[in-house]
Amino acid sequence: MDLFDNLMLGLSTALELNNLGLCLLGVLIGTAIGVLPGIGPIPTVALLLPFTFGLNPAGAMIMLAGIFYGAQYGGSTTAILVNVPGETSSVVTCIDGHEMAKQGKAGTALAIAAIASFFAGTMATIVIAVMSVPLSVLALKFTAVEYFSLLVLGLIAAVVLAHGSVAKSLAMVLLGLLLGLVGIDVSSGAARMTFGIAELSDGLDFVPIAMGLFGLGEIIANLERPAERRVVSQKVRDLIPSRADLRAAFPAMVRGTALGSVLGVLPGGGAALPPFSSYALEKKLAKDPSRFGKGAIEGVAGPEAANNAGAQTSFIPLLTLGIPANALMALMIGALMMQGIQPGPQIMTEQPKLVWGVIASMWVGNLMLLVINLPLIGLWVSMLKNPLSPALPGDRAVLLHRHLRHRQQPVQCLAHAGLRGDRLLLHQGRRRAGAAAARPRARPAARGEFSSRDAAVGWGFPRLPVASDQRSAAGCGRRASLGDAFADDPAQSEGGPGR
Amino acid sequence: MSAPVTRSGQDWRDLLFGLFLVAVAAVALFATRNLNVGHAADMGAGYMPRVVSLGLLAFGLFFCGRGVRRAGLAIEPVQWRPLLAVLAAVGVFALTAEKLGLAIASVVTVVLASFATREGRLRETVPFALLLSGAAVLLFIKVLALPVPVWPR
Repeated sequence: MDLFDNLMLGLSTALELNNLGLCLLGVLIGTAIGVLPGIGPIPTVALLLPFTFGLNPAGAMIMLAGIFYGAQYGGSTTAILVNVPGETSSVVTCIDGHEMAKQGKAGTALAIAAIASFFAGTMATIVIAVMSVPLSVLALKFTAVEYFSLLVLGLIAAVVLAHGSVAKSLAMVLLGLLLGLVGIDVSSGAARMTFGIAELSDGLDFVPIAMGLFGLGEIIANLERPAERRVVSQKVRDLIPSRADLRAAFPAMVRGTALGSVLGVLPGGGAALPPFSSYALEKKLAKDPSRFGKGAIEGVAGPEAANNAGAQTSFIPLLTLGIPANALMALMIGALMMQGIQPGPQIMTEQPKLVWGVIASMWVGNLMLLVINLPLIGLWVSMLKNPLSPALPGDRAVLLHRHLRHRQQPVQCLAHAGLRGDRLLLHQGRRRAGAAAARPRARPAARGEFSSRDAAVGWGFPRLPVASDQRSAAGCGRRASLGDAFADDPAQSEGGPGR
Repeated sequence: MSAPVTRSGQDWRDLLFGLFLVAVAAVALFATRNLNVGHAADMGAGYMPRVVSLGLLAFGLFFCGRGVRRAGLAIEPVQWRPLLAVLAAVGVFALTAEKLGLAIASVVTVVLASFATREGRLRETVPFALLLSGAAVLLFIKVLALPVPVWPR
């Protein structure tokens, strides 16, 4: 059967020693940044993007994906032990997870979180594999018209489903489109908004924008926050949950996985939506809703499962259609383009090794995470006690060097984008996770938090392979009304690996 | 972690966001003023920039108006220290890497960046910077063979 052939191909790719090592590295970095509050997967991936240049495409994607779902695991550890969400996605876990820890059941809570994540990760991997086949068949039928509809759908969905203010996301999508317009207009050859700088005629490169908005912006915003260090002095015992606990948690895991898998696919959903929805669902279904908030095990299992499933299924639109479901996936598109691969519906048939390798590596990575998380929990806890400051300038300096690549323009772009990203975060996103944790059932993200991310999503769209597919562009006959925005792509595809 | 709950007469987040959008739209409109706009059926190079920046302008004005009229949470004061230190580090690296070479530029960058936090101590930063600079040279010049000079030329 096709599916099994594909999975075997994927497994053989994922199990290559190189890729196995990269997967391990990815999930380790992911867990570490997940555990540390303040630095999330998005800035991390943004900062590490340039490092993947020297890797093969499959290895690069495997590592970056590992960071993403590794962070979902790590975030729950901090949530349970310190009551500070390591990640936006683990805000909900704080509520009941930390309550369990206070009752001396920290070990059980951690174990359930890890098991739920593993279960969800495994199921989501299967979901991706099963759904990818029909989607890739469909993708072959795509022409310019479908591409265009897909882009419109993606842009609208990014706005509608974004957290917080719809008007702000709309504005940021427009801003993203404007950024995408910089460079030589391919149809007329006119220079647009290049300000006479030759380097800008290729357009703004994705990587510096992403590093500036997500990397530098977050780092600066983090440095502005007063240092907050709490020493965890709790002994973690009882890592094996009892049978009764498992029985109570299992249905919640299944529901969380299902919910997360569906919500993860939606563009613009982000990492916060699935766990919140799952928590609400569990509370509604529970016989005694008053237990929630007082250490209900379902309140840990459901959201943790949802969160991991969502993290993984958000790869589906990326791997099959080339549409980013969230800002992180937009970064992944950047990574692919750096490797000279145009994301899009053709990717499944042209790069089966890459796509299936990444899918299979998710399962391998989840297994690693289970092993890493349970026995090594003490290590992560001790990491929580340390300040994160030395890591920050280090990251930054290294990323700069890597990115220079004998051209100054990207670095300058980066500085500007950093300034801009910081401003946005500063004025709109200050209250992130902290405020959300205080008001658990409010909409997860503080308003506008995702706005700068929407800009990147919007910006990413013009770079999708719409017009670079010359055949279909010609078939379309005339430029679709928005097509202009998507027209500067060929330069991107050919210039990709050079940056 | 909780933001200070001081009210202010204006919603500064909206107001500043709006001003930012207006500024971007104005720059874009100015930069593309000479491009051929054409019309919807036959778009010129200036059509999309014009449409998008007019949209941005409208949003900017909307947020400005809403920000002025509506009360909102006060924003925290801007912390100039990390903002300036980080951006200066990036900028200085961009300007010096070609001339001074990777080794020196990295040290300067790390030292500058360390001013972003009050906890940075020169005694710790300098060895760290030297170490990082060495690692950067090894990785980017020896392993990846990037065309960046190591020393001043």
